[in-house]
Amino acid sequence: MADRSESDRLAQETWLQRLIRRPEIGAFIVMIVIIVALAIASDGKAFNALGLKNNIKIIAQYGIIAIGAALLMIAGEFDLSIGSMIGFAGMSMAIMLKWGLPFGLGEATPFLAFIITLAMTLTIGWIIGTIVVRSGLSSFIVTLAFLFFLRGTTEVSFRLINQSTQVSGLPDYKEESWFANILGGEVFGWFYDAWYWIGTKMIAGVEFPTRLTADNINFLAALNINRRLEQWVTGFDARLMWFMIIAAAAYFVLSRTQLGNWIYATGDNKEAARANGVPVNRVKVGLFMFTAFCATMFAACQVFDTNTSDAAKGNLMELFAIAIAVVGGTLMTGGFGSVIGVVFGAITVGLVANAVFFIPTIDGAWFRVFLGSILLAAVFANERIRKRITGGI
Amino acid sequence: MAEPYLRVENLTKQFGPFTALGGVDLEVYPGEVHALLGDNGAGKSTLIKTLAGVHQPTSGTIYIEGKPVNFRSPRDASAAGIGTVYQDLALNQLMSVTRNFFMGRELKGPLGTLRMDEMNKIAHDEMLKIGIDFSDPTQAVGTMSGGQRQTLAIARAIHFGAKVLILDEPTSALGQKQQMGVLKTIKRVRARGDIAIIFITHNEIHSRLVGDRFTFLALGKVIGAGTSDEIGDHEMRRLMAGGAEMGDLEQELAQI
Repeated sequence: MADRSESDRLAQETWLQRLIRRPEIGAFIVMIVIIVALAIASDGKAFNALGLKNNIKIIAQYGIIAIGAALLMIAGEFDLSIGSMIGFAGMSMAIMLKWGLPFGLGEATPFLAFIITLAMTLTIGWIIGTIVVRSGLSSFIVTLAFLFFLRGTTEVSFRLINQSTQVSGLPDYKEESWFANILGGEVFGWFYDAWYWIGTKMIAGVEFPTRLTADNINFLAALNINRRLEQWVTGFDARLMWFMIIAAAAYFVLSRTQLGNWIYATGDNKEAARANGVPVNRVKVGLFMFTAFCATMFAACQVFDTNTSDAAKGNLMELFAIAIAVVGGTLMTGGFGSVIGVVFGAITVGLVANAVFFIPTIDGAWFRVFLGSILLAAVFANERIRKRITGGI
Repeated sequence: MAEPYLRVENLTKQFGPFTALGGVDLEVYPGEVHALLGDNGAGKSTLIKTLAGVHQPTSGTIYIEGKPVNFRSPRDASAAGIGTVYQDLALNQLMSVTRNFFMGRELKGPLGTLRMDEMNKIAHDEMLKIGIDFSDPTQAVGTMSGGQRQTLAIARAIHFGAKVLILDEPTSALGQKQQMGVLKTIKRVRARGDIAIIFITHNEIHSRLVGDRFTFLALGKVIGAGTSDEIGDHEMRRLMAGGAEMGDLEQELAQI
């Protein structure tokens, strides 16, 4: 008895026990449930060639901003201005592309429009962060103010410069500008090429009737083959690549670097972090700039994909970003969370948002009902997991 | 007699009209535990915050190895080898032992990456040196006991070069067994011989168990000081009560 020490009370665990103690496990299970449920409910259509592309599109869109929001939440702050920032960035790029650079500096190339917009949004992110850390006010209030401020600025700018709250009919910049193409074009064509190649092998020798039945069409769609027996889908939206880049970079920074340790330390207990020499304020301001960057990437992909923009773009996106971060296991009060969990969360919420398109019998508004239920379920699951990991805090 | 590592001479600190410290002298020697005792409001906290560079003294001088120093910030103090372990320990509960150990002073590889294996090993070894064998440096601090957290904070301060270790009531808010664990840790640090410890406490038994030298504060002034041989149990109890005789207190209590 006398030889027992405190450290003996920590049980040795098998790899399975370790796995179910991962912070991402709750988000992972919810994601698997949604994937299976959607596959069954949509009769497989949600994951045929086009279904997958459309799902990935919205998942990547949500994911880009959710990672920004999650990193900021881990550092203990909120950003409610993400949605308005998307609208502002989209407006800025579209107006420059249509009406030229400010101060009569001539035509705007996609690259210039993007860089000037990014400079503006990063500056606004810096201003928001600086106000929060200098004033000590809650970031909830400060960014709420910027939610209104930026949305108003966006609409006023549209009316003043463009006389209308939307820009449409821009030329398709993807055609000639490589820069517009990497933001709004298609990526990973090899994936769909391979899919089509496998499909052609599978239907080799199969005779189809001249008028294809619905079953035939579904079968071909699952093999990336269209009704004329040609390749159907040619690639994913470029958003997917940006989502993967941003997620990989965020994962690396958060779990492997000094900066990641500072982000956790800042959100957990900022006085303790400060007492140990962590530059708490610089971490926070930097992360407000990072959410602004994510919002700008969201807007840039949208503008160069659709060649349009309007004053309502990005509406409510800040709340989706926060919901995804929470579904992904990020703690509302900071100090805990993982990028992998947020990726799972983005997949879950993206699929739920798209589900109504694949299940035509249900009313589209059910989406929000599902989302609310999943949010609650995920939060309960994540709370339990976190308490097991951290000893009940 | 060895030279004191840290010497404080006639230190005063005023907050507006309020005199928190009214001329305090203190000498702290390497390899010794200097117990700083006194009631609530005696000025203990002000004194250690001044030593830690949080407050600037109104007058008086702090000497490190005989040279006068002037701390303008906590950073100055820690650079001079003063490591303060506050009651809240400055630990982050959701983070792992290693991440806490190196918080703000991480070992970096290329691209700012953490040298995690090396850090795990150092955290484990440093804590083993002062008494706890920690099997899993990746476990969250929130799962540790109060005594273990105390040890972590002390090990961290020592690893990052503390020559004077200021422990702010390390045994309060702990259970009996854990209190003894912390006292053992203090003894082990003392046994190294190169670190001076300032041990702030309310508890005369604890201070008696580990203290080599005592200073009693009351109302911002030193009301008694000496080595453990010089101060007997009766004298100690009298000084703990702010200089009042226990007999008088008993009488006062009896009158109510």
